Amino acid sequence: MLARLALRNIWRNRRRTLLTLSAMVVSSALLILALGVFSGMLRDMLASATEQYYGHLVISAKGYQDDRDMYRNYSPEAIETILQHKQSITGYSLRLRSFGLLSFARNSSPAELLGVIPALEKQVTSLQNSLVAGSYLAADSPAGAVLGAGLARRLGVKPGDDLVFVTQAADGSIGNDLLTVSGVFSTGDYGHDNSLVLVPLGWLQRVMVLPGRIHETALRIDDPLAAAASAAQLRPLLPASLEILTWGDLLPEMREVVASYNVSRLIVVTILYLATGLGILNTFFMSVMERTREFGVLLAIGMRPGQIRLLVFLETFFMGLFGLAFGILGGVVLSLYMVRVGIDLSGTLTPITYAGGTILPRLGAVLEWSNVLIPALCLLVVSLLAGFLPANRAARMQPVAAIREE
Amino acid sequence: MDLLALAWKNLWRNRRRTLITLAALSLSLMLIEAAHNLSFGVYRTMIDSGVRAGSGHLTIYRQGYLAARDEKLSFDPDSLADTITGFDGVAAVLPRLYLAALAQSSRESRGVLLTGIAPRIERRINPFLRKLPDAQMLTSLNGREAILGSRLLKELQLKPGNKFVVTLQDRSGDLVSEMFRVHGVVETGIKNVDKTLLLVGRERAGALAGIGHEIHELAIILNSPDAEATVYPRLQALISQFPGLEAVSWERAMPNLFNAIRLDYASQKFIFVIMLLIVTIGVVNTLLMSVMERFREFGIILAVGASAMRLRTLVLLEALLLGVVSMLLGTLLGSLATWYLQVVGIDMRSFIEQSLEFGGVVFDPVLRAQWDLLWMVQVAVYLLFLTLGAALYPAVKAGRINPVDAMRHH
Amino acid sequence: MATLSRLLLVVLFFFSIMAVPALGEQPDLRRLIRQVERQYTGESSIATVEMTVETGHWQRHLTMELWSLGRERFLVRIVAPAKEKGVATLKVDNEVWNYLPKVDRVIRVPPSMMGGAWMGSHITNDDLVKANKIDEDYDFQLLEENATSWVIEALPKPTAAVIWGKIIYRLNPETLVPERIDYFDEEDLLVRQISFADVQLVNGRRVPLRMTVLPVEKPAEKTVLQYRRLQFDVGLEKSFFSLGRLKERR
Repeated sequence: MLARLALRNIWRNRRRTLLTLSAMVVSSALLILALGVFSGMLRDMLASATEQYYGHLVISAKGYQDDRDMYRNYSPEAIETILQHKQSITGYSLRLRSFGLLSFARNSSPAELLGVIPALEKQVTSLQNSLVAGSYLAADSPAGAVLGAGLARRLGVKPGDDLVFVTQAADGSIGNDLLTVSGVFSTGDYGHDNSLVLVPLGWLQRVMVLPGRIHETALRIDDPLAAAASAAQLRPLLPASLEILTWGDLLPEMREVVASYNVSRLIVVTILYLATGLGILNTFFMSVMERTREFGVLLAIGMRPGQIRLLVFLETFFMGLFGLAFGILGGVVLSLYMVRVGIDLSGTLTPITYAGGTILPRLGAVLEWSNVLIPALCLLVVSLLAGFLPANRAARMQPVAAIREE
Repeated sequence: MDLLALAWKNLWRNRRRTLITLAALSLSLMLIEAAHNLSFGVYRTMIDSGVRAGSGHLTIYRQGYLAARDEKLSFDPDSLADTITGFDGVAAVLPRLYLAALAQSSRESRGVLLTGIAPRIERRINPFLRKLPDAQMLTSLNGREAILGSRLLKELQLKPGNKFVVTLQDRSGDLVSEMFRVHGVVETGIKNVDKTLLLVGRERAGALAGIGHEIHELAIILNSPDAEATVYPRLQALISQFPGLEAVSWERAMPNLFNAIRLDYASQKFIFVIMLLIVTIGVVNTLLMSVMERFREFGIILAVGASAMRLRTLVLLEALLLGVVSMLLGTLLGSLATWYLQVVGIDMRSFIEQSLEFGGVVFDPVLRAQWDLLWMVQVAVYLLFLTLGAALYPAVKAGRINPVDAMRHH
Repeated sequence: MATLSRLLLVVLFFFSIMAVPALGEQPDLRRLIRQVERQYTGESSIATVEMTVETGHWQRHLTMELWSLGRERFLVRIVAPAKEKGVATLKVDNEVWNYLPKVDRVIRVPPSMMGGAWMGSHITNDDLVKANKIDEDYDFQLLEENATSWVIEALPKPTAAVIWGKIIYRLNPETLVPERIDYFDEEDLLVRQISFADVQLVNGRRVPLRMTVLPVEKPAEKTVLQYRRLQFDVGLEKSFFSLGRLKERR
């Protein structure tokens, strides 16, 4: 009965309803968009840090990541059970690493070689998207090499040239062999561009005399922010000699960046909520406030104060729901636009290295349900509160005083 | 004039409604001003520490060094440095040379970037040295004291006071070695820096490399980034007398820092546009609501013989007054918030789990606001126009209404 | 022979006291140490050496041929095992080159690789480059002189670019052939030990044909050099030590 009255009230004063609704729709849509853009930036930052080199999780022999001792290696068989864990792992890459001297003609430079299986490596890192010359390692390439632009410049090589790699092999001998440059990448990260080289895993295993061995397995998971939880889940499956580390363990400065980004996001989001809440609070408050006279009349014709409160509650509730429905729709559409298209800033900006990662100059967004539901719920509470306060006041007034009020 | 007084009286007749509207407008203005000044301050700090740890607001290089980092491209800074130090707006001039080298202890060896510095000036400027105790600072330009990154020290298995040997290729291509002693240890929290940082007096490094007094980089730190506009042209004029040298602004010398800040700034701007829109819709709605609900009142005014024109002016004047008051009040509140954020700031560490060590070099853990007066004025004026704009439609409408209908409009 | 060198030493000792009393016995010890450090090279030399390197991870055995001229120039070429045959190192003054027959390339060892192990042994490239300066960079003092050994302490000059804190030489008092050399860090901790054995007479000189390098902190590791053939004063020319010779495969 009251519900029907509430709906009729909403319908009756269309202008007021539209005003109130528009505030709700526009600000909730914009809030959802802003939260999505924030999440998008965080994701880009994380992706840049992890998808260029480390991956989200790394399995290696205990202590390996600390000293990169070539003898801390293992056989991929040891982690077969983990790689079967399909629900949390979306990709993995087996890698062998070697530090040595790379030379071409009279030039030489120290380099870090990463022996990979090209098809697997693509599941974890995205260097194939950063090529500036030549092509990525072919699946069957026996001795190809994809190297950083800075390294290529220092050595003076281009795709097709033959490089010599020299290192100390695991049996103490001087490991050395020829590589053919297949591609050159430029990530914008100074360290990687000046020292990193991807080579076929089998080739490096042979040169280092470490047949069938790897130093690390880089994993890709669905939600990099939940890396610690995924690591904890996989840890019991590991043999005692191996350990699993998250991107945060491997890139502590990135963790610092994410933490400080989260704090500034918290501040800005708080302000956004306040601004949105303030607008909605005012609109709802005002719209109920202006009806004090009407409530006075209702009281005078015998409606009980409790019923008035309930009536207003229902009205604001319906209006809030209605507004949010459109607001969420608008917010999701705007966010999706940012997800799909985004704002391209590459005209004014070049890729940026940031605490071990590179960010492409594009403003995008991520659509997460938490970014939709939490603001929706908050705004609904704000609007109910905004309606309840004046209704409560009117309900407590003497009908005559309420009617007389302007 | 009497209309203005009437508008003022009108505003206060329904005190509750006016106060609510006023609160909405001025609080929104405060929020957006304080938020902007905070992020403005954070960017300033970011640029400042980036510039101080990096190559300064302005940098002088031999032409080509910036792109190739070729150690052969060095120059003698002595006469230049003194002249530039005398420029208005210049806080410090830092000579530096960078040499790829091998550091060896009795047990281990590591590749390092040997950086020759002028210790006293560097101490004052470089954020990497902020936490270094005085006793650990280099004392001379040509001593054998060295400051090492914490990780490098650990990997070489050295302790403070121990000696180690630095080997590099000098200008004529020969391998040369020099003994240094660990005098200070720096932990920046940036893995690559902690692993390769090796600071020594610049004359010792120059002598070792066989380049005497020459350096690779002359970093110029300004009192404020705004001073770049006046210092840069003077610097260009000075540099033109030294063929082969070039003066570069930090935006070009450190494109990564510049772009990181610009990208961050672009996204912040996007967020501010959204924030502004949210505030706009809130303000416009509050105003519309407060005016719309008064049609009955307008009807009475028209009924007692006021012209439509007079009513419109009255409505607009009310909005203008409301706008001016909330502009002033909002800016006052915004200034108070900015002042608080500038003096006290927001300590990020109180939001972050204890386990996370904040190096404090990459990011200042305390976020502080800075005044961006121009922006504050712009937003305040925008708000004023917004209130007027929002009143325009109801004002026009108010003039057209039929008094009888309006009065029925409960 | 032993008596001759002792006599020589006494004479030198005497002379030095006469000439520069303030320096005490320094010049003799310096000369003695220079002789120790040059014991395998002499004026010029040709040698065949078997090197055995053991680490916790592997053991390997190499046979090499060596040519040297003073301590400034030398050429080493691996002759066995077959897998590494032809790998060669050339040192001229401060520079080191490697030749890799598998890829047929000569690679100059850059400063950044100087700390690296030479041929996988416990001798670094830097040891090869710096060894000829020991007598210039250190001050020497006779610590002990008894029936079983002479103990000479070498302390680096205050500003010398050397990584050691102290080197102790133990020589046989009869032959003046080194028995052991201990390398300490600045905290007086023993870091590396080289011991000598199998002393033989070569071209009228007593030379310990076996040299063992022990990185003391890694007990499982060592490098043993056994000279199979050694010949001094073979009249090599400077021009012998060329990049062309480095690439010669035999």
